[in-house]
Amino acid sequence: MSLRSSATVPAKKSASAGASGRGQRNDEVAMQLKDVEAMYGSFRAVNRVSLDVKARSVTAFIGPSGCGKTTLLRTLNRMHETTPGASVKGTIEINGINLYDKNVDPVRVRRSIGMVFQKPNPFPAMSIEGNVASGLRLAGQTNKADVAEIVEQSLRRAALWDEVKDKLKEPGLSLSGGQQQRLCIARAIAVEPEIVLMDEPCSALDPLATLRIEELIRDLKDRFTIIIVTHNMQQAARVSDTTAFFNMGDDKGGYLVETGPTAKIFTKPSNKMTEDYIAGRFG
Amino acid sequence: MKNKNELKFAAVSFSLDLTERDVRRRRMNQIMTRAIQFSAFLAVIPIIAIVLVVAINGLSGFSLEFLTNSPTDQPRGILNAIQGSLIMTFLALIASAPIGIGGGIYLHEYASERTARVGELVIDVMLGVPSILAGLFAYFALVPIIGQSGWAAAIALTVLMIPVVMRTTQEVLRLVPVGLREASLALGVPRWKTTIFITCRTAISGILTGVVLAISRGLGETAPLLLTSQSSNDSNIDLGARMNSMTVVIFEWAGSPDPLYVTQAWTTALVLFVLALVLNILVRFKSINNRVL
Repeated sequence: MSLRSSATVPAKKSASAGASGRGQRNDEVAMQLKDVEAMYGSFRAVNRVSLDVKARSVTAFIGPSGCGKTTLLRTLNRMHETTPGASVKGTIEINGINLYDKNVDPVRVRRSIGMVFQKPNPFPAMSIEGNVASGLRLAGQTNKADVAEIVEQSLRRAALWDEVKDKLKEPGLSLSGGQQQRLCIARAIAVEPEIVLMDEPCSALDPLATLRIEELIRDLKDRFTIIIVTHNMQQAARVSDTTAFFNMGDDKGGYLVETGPTAKIFTKPSNKMTEDYIAGRFG
Repeated sequence: MKNKNELKFAAVSFSLDLTERDVRRRRMNQIMTRAIQFSAFLAVIPIIAIVLVVAINGLSGFSLEFLTNSPTDQPRGILNAIQGSLIMTFLALIASAPIGIGGGIYLHEYASERTARVGELVIDVMLGVPSILAGLFAYFALVPIIGQSGWAAAIALTVLMIPVVMRTTQEVLRLVPVGLREASLALGVPRWKTTIFITCRTAISGILTGVVLAISRGLGETAPLLLTSQSSNDSNIDLGARMNSMTVVIFEWAGSPDPLYVTQAWTTALVLFVLALVLNILVRFKSINNRVL
């Protein structure tokens, strides 16, 4: 993928990237973090994180509150810098391109790296269909047939189509909380991102809705690279292939304790702290 | 109860008999409720009274000619005053709405916290400025150059309407959840599009309410118009000359010794009132349909 050429239309870009990139071996690296630090003013919320994110798999960030998981997630699509006073050090690379290179436009980064938030946040002024199509329309894609097709496809992928196909014109807010979150997932994947970031996507949902989202996450990894922040260790164990465990250091800044295949982290972690956290002894 | 023995309650001394405290609490509750109802009632009385008095006094002078004739015609009418009020307010509106909405967006979406605080203070001061001061400003700064004219009045009204639009816009943008802006930015939508198509679109009904408030203020101002557009008997739409307006007509006619003039001042007030009311209802109706916040 090329983040520098701003002339390409996003949908076409990812289609070509899909042809060359998707469907290959599963151990490909989608994103590489090197010494990433996230600051709020002079406070270092995340300390030197280096991590490889595997393509078309689910990576879970777990750890106690305040360990910088969400902050780190927000550096990955350059959302962190939208907070006043926030800054990032280190490099985050996709295909050898540093997202923080000064020639890279954050808008292009966010088109390639979508995000689903903790609280479902459909656009209140828009219908269900409008919500899913919003990313496309606001990026200038207005061909009606194309948009309609992408909307249906995205809603199907988000496992919401059957529930909403007869009421696409109703407001997005008319749906239940779990449906709203799936709508937000549909909205995020409609612009065909390479990577989807999820910031505790189930924390506002009931157990049944949570289960549906988890199923959905497992389905989506065939096509997208997913990074999910979760407070719920069982959820990390259920949905992720790789788990990264973070903890809060003495300076209140978060750091990466260890990372590895989820099965290993949850059964034979190499760090005592990870073991204690997994066992529920702190956090 | 047949099965009384099977069911054992733990609280042996439990009783729901009304005690003196219960009675006192109930009485207090009632007194407070009545007091609050009464203050609401008192607040509504003047509004109802004004509507009734304006309607009763104004209706007798009303006729179709009153709306279509000029003050020099026989019978007398206020066509030029209606035209003048609408033209001057409309001009002030197309100047103040973009400035006010843009300024409100800037203060809430783009300005630093410090700038926003200072800006807010300035708007609040502007909102509190007596309208005669805006008139005086126009009288001393503009009238020597462009003369007593519709233009001068429109500018004075603009000064008064900008802070109304700006303040409301800023307040209503505050109600738009941060999560919506983030969701949009995270879709790769540029900031200016996020501001217009997500943030402002979500807040549109509130922004429109601010615009209506500003129109109402513009239509209802008298003091600045007395100093700028003054009054005129000509049925002109020439903004370079003096222009009649409903509020100034009311002011001048109400003080007349001629009872017919006084009645027609009431009728003008009625027309002005109905006009402002219809405008309000139209926009409210439209914006309630689009209400999302």
